[in-house]
Amino acid sequence: MIWEVFRQEKPGDYHRHVGNVHAPDREMAKLFAQIQHARRMQTNSLWVVPQSEIGEVDPEDAAFGGRTDKSYRWAMTYNDIDASFAKEVEDSEAEQREAARTRREQLESEGDA
Amino acid sequence: MTAPEEPPAASLDRDDLTPERQVALEELLFRLADDEFVHAERLTEWQIFAPTIESDLALANVAQDEFGHARLWYDLLQELGYTEEECIWRRPADDWTHATLVERPFADDGWGDAVARTYLYDVAERLRLEALVDTSYAPLADRVGKALAEEEYHREHAVSWVERLASDGDARERLQAAVEDLFPHALSLWYPGEHEAEIRAAGLRRESLASMREEWIDTVIPTLEGYGLVVPEPDEVDRPEVRGRDGSHTDKWFDLYEAFTATHREVDFDRPARLRGEEA
Repeated sequence: MIWEVFRQEKPGDYHRHVGNVHAPDREMAKLFAQIQHARRMQTNSLWVVPQSEIGEVDPEDAAFGGRTDKSYRWAMTYNDIDASFAKEVEDSEAEQREAARTRREQLESEGDA
Repeated sequence: MTAPEEPPAASLDRDDLTPERQVALEELLFRLADDEFVHAERLTEWQIFAPTIESDLALANVAQDEFGHARLWYDLLQELGYTEEECIWRRPADDWTHATLVERPFADDGWGDAVARTYLYDVAERLRLEALVDTSYAPLADRVGKALAEEEYHREHAVSWVERLASDGDARERLQAAVEDLFPHALSLWYPGEHEAEIRAAGLRRESLASMREEWIDTVIPTLEGYGLVVPEPDEVDRPEVRGRDGSHTDKWFDLYEAFTATHREVDFDRPARLRGEEA
């Protein structure tokens, strides 16, 4: 049986997926996860979850966001304005540029394939 | 006349050791260190052979911890004037005072043997570390906590395996055979050494071996029986002729000793590589 392991570094952090362990049951999974995924890393908490209990949605099931051209949403009117006076505006623009870039790369790599 | 009071916790340093106290302390430390070192040395034989990669890593981790504990105790001996060579690499095989439990090869290369052995050992180790928390020897007191913290995992690991093997017919039979084979050797953990009286008088350890043995028996027997295993009656066990603690050992120990000291002898280092501690 496979148990997915999630590790939280500090209190309040998200538990992040770090890998899995094979174990017959929850108790053994917790013991093995400590060694395999927390022995050398700063760790506040570990979760082990049976792999079969994880619900997954894959690209066949759904059209995920991030694949369509959203440039029409860009606030073009304010193009020449230095946005640094408002951090949230700057962040938002950076986020949109990043989304556009990864989308472009993804489409390009699919084109190569 | 009342017995003289034992020195209080962490009240003795190296300069406070009378010659009698020092030999007693050395006996105590060698027993601890040798047990840990030899136990770890045997456990490493499981590397790449344990039933799954997870159990392999877990047991390797236990072995590494035990080597680390051996490091703690051998270091204290080195502060008393021994060299690492004298403690380990060039120490005559029949000077070693570990219990015969930890030198045994794994019967039939069996995982049940490894599980039974770690369980019997780890329960004993907790008891004896707890009896050292308030030791009079300050440098020893400083180090007990670290070892105790790691033992918690070892015990949980061992008992979890006992529980699971015991719930399967074939595995339980092999576990049962291992318990019968190892139990008499495990009793050798509690044989007193020559300087036991001084160890207690100097407050180096706060419990007698007899009462720790009692507590160990009261823990391991009900636990193992609770999982459907049959444990030999301690007082009716055929005692092995060799006792480990007095330097007498089973033949397999001498093979193991040859194996782990071979490189050192062949290479003939001027200065031996040090057995590494956790933070080394």
